[in-house]
Amino acid sequence: MAIEVLLVEDSPGDVRLTQEAFRDANDSIHLHVASDGVEAMAFLKHEGTHVHAPRPDIILLDLNLPKMDGREVLAHIKADDSLKRIPTVVLTTSDAEADIVKCYELHANCYLKKPVQLDEFELLVKSINDFWLTKVELPPQTRGA
Amino acid sequence: MFPKGNNTNSARSPPTAAVRDLSMPNAAEKHLAPKKGRRRLMEEALRESQEQYRMLLDGIEDYAIFMMDPEGRIVSWNVGAERIKGYRADEIIGHNFSCFFPPEDIERGRPQEVLRITAASGRHEEQGMRVRKDGSHFLANLTFTALRDPSGNLRGFSEFSQDLSESKEAEAKYRGLLEAAPDAMVVVNQAGEIVLLNLQAEKQFGYPRDELLGQKVTSIVPEGFAERLIADDLRSAEDALAQQIGTGIELIGRRKDGGEFPIEIMLSPLESAEGTLVTAAIRDIGVRKAAEKHLAQMEGRYRGLLEAAPDAMVVVNQAGEIALLNLQAEKQFGYRRDELLGQKVTNIIPEGFAERLIADDLRSAEDALAQQIGTGIELIGRRKDGGEFPIEIMLSPLESAEGTLVTAAIRDITTRRAAAADLLQKVEELKRSNEELGQFAYIASHDLQEPLRMVASYTQLLSRRYKGKLDSDADEFIAFAVDGASRMQRLIRDLLAYSRVGTKGSDLLDISSEDALRQALLNLRGAIEESGALVTHDPLPTVSADETQLIQLFQNLVGNAIKYQGPGVPKVHIAAARSSEKKWTFSVQDNGLGIDPQYFEKIFGVFQRLHKREEFAGTGIGLAICKKIVEQHGGNISVESQPGHGSTFRFALAESERKS
Repeated sequence: MAIEVLLVEDSPGDVRLTQEAFRDANDSIHLHVASDGVEAMAFLKHEGTHVHAPRPDIILLDLNLPKMDGREVLAHIKADDSLKRIPTVVLTTSDAEADIVKCYELHANCYLKKPVQLDEFELLVKSINDFWLTKVELPPQTRGA
Repeated sequence: MFPKGNNTNSARSPPTAAVRDLSMPNAAEKHLAPKKGRRRLMEEALRESQEQYRMLLDGIEDYAIFMMDPEGRIVSWNVGAERIKGYRADEIIGHNFSCFFPPEDIERGRPQEVLRITAASGRHEEQGMRVRKDGSHFLANLTFTALRDPSGNLRGFSEFSQDLSESKEAEAKYRGLLEAAPDAMVVVNQAGEIVLLNLQAEKQFGYPRDELLGQKVTSIVPEGFAERLIADDLRSAEDALAQQIGTGIELIGRRKDGGEFPIEIMLSPLESAEGTLVTAAIRDIGVRKAAEKHLAQMEGRYRGLLEAAPDAMVVVNQAGEIALLNLQAEKQFGYRRDELLGQKVTNIIPEGFAERLIADDLRSAEDALAQQIGTGIELIGRRKDGGEFPIEIMLSPLESAEGTLVTAAIRDITTRRAAAADLLQKVEELKRSNEELGQFAYIASHDLQEPLRMVASYTQLLSRRYKGKLDSDADEFIAFAVDGASRMQRLIRDLLAYSRVGTKGSDLLDISSEDALRQALLNLRGAIEESGALVTHDPLPTVSADETQLIQLFQNLVGNAIKYQGPGVPKVHIAAARSSEKKWTFSVQDNGLGIDPQYFEKIFGVFQRLHKREEFAGTGIGLAICKKIVEQHGGNISVESQPGHGSTFRFALAESERKS
């Protein structure tokens, strides 16, 4: 069964690295990419070109995004009854205490800092796969209206 | 005024009979009146005359007047006699006048003697003690007259007496008053002669009383007194005097020994039988003069001080009016002195000063003032031209005869204000520029990290996927790119750590330095195990420090000690010794390579390295961070070392406030 992952990330370099890392970790993953907050919300609400977008099993969310930043996206997701059960993992370069606190206040499911080294990044993606996509029991797919 | 030797009669009804008894056997009257009708006329005229005398004597109250027969028995009695001696006429008539004498006089026959003397001389005057009906004694002035008929036969006596105690008492009182006066009192007549003086006058001028009486007053007050008593063409003596009355005149007094002393004279007129006398109250004002002179000197000094003061000084009364000011005040506010004296202080300090002098319901003026004393208040001063400038006022109370005044020292603080504002601005600028610099270092290193992560990640990916698949040159180039990127990552990471020490500041708490060291060693576990280093430490104290920074400090120093190892097994020892009252000096000693003393300063700089990269990895920022951390804690870090003999790094930290 395919696993749907929504990566909200504006840096193409990071997108590609993440794709590479997931490909190595688990080849049954469908990685969807939204390059800003607005697009991410459109994807989640099946709007515009995303009418047929699948409901993701997990969202990987960067914080610093154009148009609508990651904190706002997080707030929208967790305030939306049809979306709030989707595990949302914050994946960012920021290790500012204020960001960490803010994200958990907005009910982020976890907060991860992007490692500087490639090996460590690959290791992190692998552990996301092992934990969130393998070990964790997720609620049954309840397609939004 | 009073009839002496002739036939005087007086009395009320009973004495009238007695008088008749005296006059009836008057043979001369009978012989001188041959005709019955004429005689009757004469008798009537006589009776009328007798009646007039009787009424006259009867009405006199101030003198006792009565008549006696030749043996001294009382035959008439007037109102004055009743008042002075205390007997009514009906009580005393017929009694002998000897009852008026004190018992001892009676015993030695004085009453009879008085009559005998009077009979012999016709008239006798004396002063003597007499006794009233109630037994009290009084001093009397008495005149006795023998009454004889025309043929010379003794018919009786009259006594005319006055109670002297009445006038004596009054005089004694006045004399007492005079002598008790604290000032010298001298009474002078219009001729300038002393007619009366008191004890104080004797003392003050050093003369016995009798030497001064009758002397010219100029002998004790040479000038200025006698002249005042003399009338001139323009005014009478009374007028001349009137001008002086009641005002103290300051003159010079001269003692008998010639010594002079300052006096103050108060004159007052004294009407007397000899004309207008002048009473002079004379006070020795030597002490007061000396005090005044001293005061004047002091005032001169204070005035000098006041004028020399660098601040404007203004003295203000409770009504908020300027009572005194100095030259600086004139200059500062642009007014002449006379334009400000008596004016409201609000003219020069519109707000905040006068209000402070005013009492309200809750506090007295003194309290209101007391709250302000000694504290500098910053207000606005206004010059005559309307220009305003900032001032600082210091208030202090000044007790005076007019009540509590307030001295205000006023300083123009325009320059100070400007300097302070300038300084504040500079400090702000510096702070901002410092913050910006810190922020810049942080943001720059943080933002540099992002693209660098891409470079590093993709060169690593390249290396991993294509190593051995391209030619050997490609492999080498990729290897250099990977190495460069990762070195740059370390540099940036360290720079970030360095700038963080400065921007985050220190959160000083009481922490166990031993715990901090333990954590540092835990972080260094890998390096320690790899090198086989032996790390030991003494018991370490509780200090006031930022825990994260202290851990990093130990970590960097111990890390360095292991890294720059010598030939043998690396040994590191950490100790702490009390260096002063509240300081602990820590030492981190190793047996490593040691450092040439010429580099002692250099090693604490940012990105300073003593070794080639090939020999030792590192960015050269570790000790710079150590230095910054120690300085953040208010201490300093130093090193002792010799190449080949290891190094000892020392730094001091403040002891914990709490004893552990």
